[in-house]
Amino acid sequence: MRTGAGAGHTGYVHEALLYDSDDELLAVVLPFLLGGIEAGELTAVSLDVRNAELVRRALPAGTEVTFLPGGDVYARPTAAIRAYRELFASFAATGTSQIRMVGELPPLLLGATWDAWARYESAINHVYDDFPLWGLCAYDRRVAPPHVLADVARTHPRLALSDGRHEPTDVYTEPATYLAECRPAPLDPVQHTVPVVELVDLTPAQARDAVRAADAGRLPPDDLDDLVIAVSEVVSNALRHGTAPVCLRLWRAPDRMVVTVHDRGPGPKDPYAGLLPAGDGSEGGLGLWISHQSCHHVTHHRDADGFTIRLTVGNPHFPV
Amino acid sequence: MTGGDVTGPGYGHGCLAYADPAVRHALEVEQVTAGLAAGEQVWLVGPEEPEVVTGRLASVPGFAAARCRGDVRLLSVGQAYRHDEVADPGEQVRAYVRATTEALTAGYTGLRVVAEATGLVRTAAQRDAFARYEHRIDHWMRHRPMSAVCAYDRRVLDDAAIAELACMHAQTNAEVLFRLHAGGDDAAVALGGELDPSNHRLFATALERADPRPVAGRLVFDASHLRFVDHRSLLHLRDHARRRDAVAVLRTRYRAPARLVELLGLTGLLVEVVR
Repeated sequence: MRTGAGAGHTGYVHEALLYDSDDELLAVVLPFLLGGIEAGELTAVSLDVRNAELVRRALPAGTEVTFLPGGDVYARPTAAIRAYRELFASFAATGTSQIRMVGELPPLLLGATWDAWARYESAINHVYDDFPLWGLCAYDRRVAPPHVLADVARTHPRLALSDGRHEPTDVYTEPATYLAECRPAPLDPVQHTVPVVELVDLTPAQARDAVRAADAGRLPPDDLDDLVIAVSEVVSNALRHGTAPVCLRLWRAPDRMVVTVHDRGPGPKDPYAGLLPAGDGSEGGLGLWISHQSCHHVTHHRDADGFTIRLTVGNPHFPV
Repeated sequence: MTGGDVTGPGYGHGCLAYADPAVRHALEVEQVTAGLAAGEQVWLVGPEEPEVVTGRLASVPGFAAARCRGDVRLLSVGQAYRHDEVADPGEQVRAYVRATTEALTAGYTGLRVVAEATGLVRTAAQRDAFARYEHRIDHWMRHRPMSAVCAYDRRVLDDAAIAELACMHAQTNAEVLFRLHAGGDDAAVALGGELDPSNHRLFATALERADPRPVAGRLVFDASHLRFVDHRSLLHLRDHARRRDAVAVLRTRYRAPARLVELLGLTGLLVEVVR
């Protein structure tokens, strides 16, 4: 029997927690965790070091809450989905009636790569729905910009309030609709410069060669291999599913490589493209997912001119 | 002759795709010169009359005497192969095994062949059988003192037909992105170049024709010269081995395939990184 906001639900209860102070954060998180413990549910915390310590100190000694190591679970959305699905599956395997978890994205992710995390927040309404999960996503209103908070409202069905109430966000948008919208990501400043490489109607092999040649030892070898894989996959996809001409542009910055691949087609139809593996690979469908796993940031952009996918390997967190 | 990868294996089984006969003629001169210098018996196999070939090679020092001694043999395609029929790969391999043995018995250091084989691969059925033969003789050449260059005429065969044959050679000047040939040590086959969606079908055909067999439940692919492999090809290798009740082992110099295998949670495919 699930308790709290999860009572009566069968899947994922996805709530946002917007706070302005430590006290407001604790006012929601402590009852959330203690209520779970009292009900015999599994409870977990995935906050940054400071806030995790804040919660740890506020909990009664010996409280059985799992504090997840930060690390690189939030290195990229697809990796977070993989890691959390494995975690929730292991929790669910214990037979717990509900999993309660409070998490918070590092502030860095509310900047240049937010578009990808907004997609993540939307997609997980579907992706985690096969677990008896009650999740609180904490956002510090002092840090999160207004456009981020607007996306948070559209990707979370409900808000958890400090007075114990749970209110609909009213603007929640189903993932299939939200993910299909064009959500322009900010241009990487390096895109305002002349690309190092510009190729039209190329083969995947030419694309790979171009990336290797442009790198010239700048990226760590594994990062270069990952970018080569990603570029090869998106060029193959564009050639197979897109509309010619396919154009690749590549820019180099001291700490990253940025590659865009554009075609005149509408882009992938699957709203979860890149976030979830499509099929078992025998009929294709894994390529875009692999590209998202291989890069530090991937953006999708649609306009009247076609579809552009941008791949960044290296540091994608330029100032916005 | 290039393999697209100059560090590829050094044994001699090459494929020359040519449109200008002068290119093939120059190769013949080069091969005869090298073969005689190495004490090998040299076979030139082609559709031309012996007098025509003799005239072309007259400038090679010692050629006339070498031909009289049998150091160089000029053979018609029909003499060396079952012409205008679909090749029997096993029979053809046995013929060259015999020829190599006879050359060694006669005191030569090995057998070197230059074969203009266009007439043997005009139809799809001929190419299918000949490609299977190419791979089987490749294993012989990898381990025994026989070398060969197979020449194919671009004016007769289209790019796709030439690619079917060229990809079965360790070295080729044809524009094929990958090569599949005999492996060394415990490797059933060796892979070179790059595998991606653009050549997945050709690769599947080549692998089916090579039909590598596992040893002790392991089907080892020497991929040390395979610079890129996509997930589809990894799945294909895994499935090929699985159909033979074996685990596929990809031996590579790169770490990326191992990361793909881990990412996809693939079982039945082991990646061994070698340096």
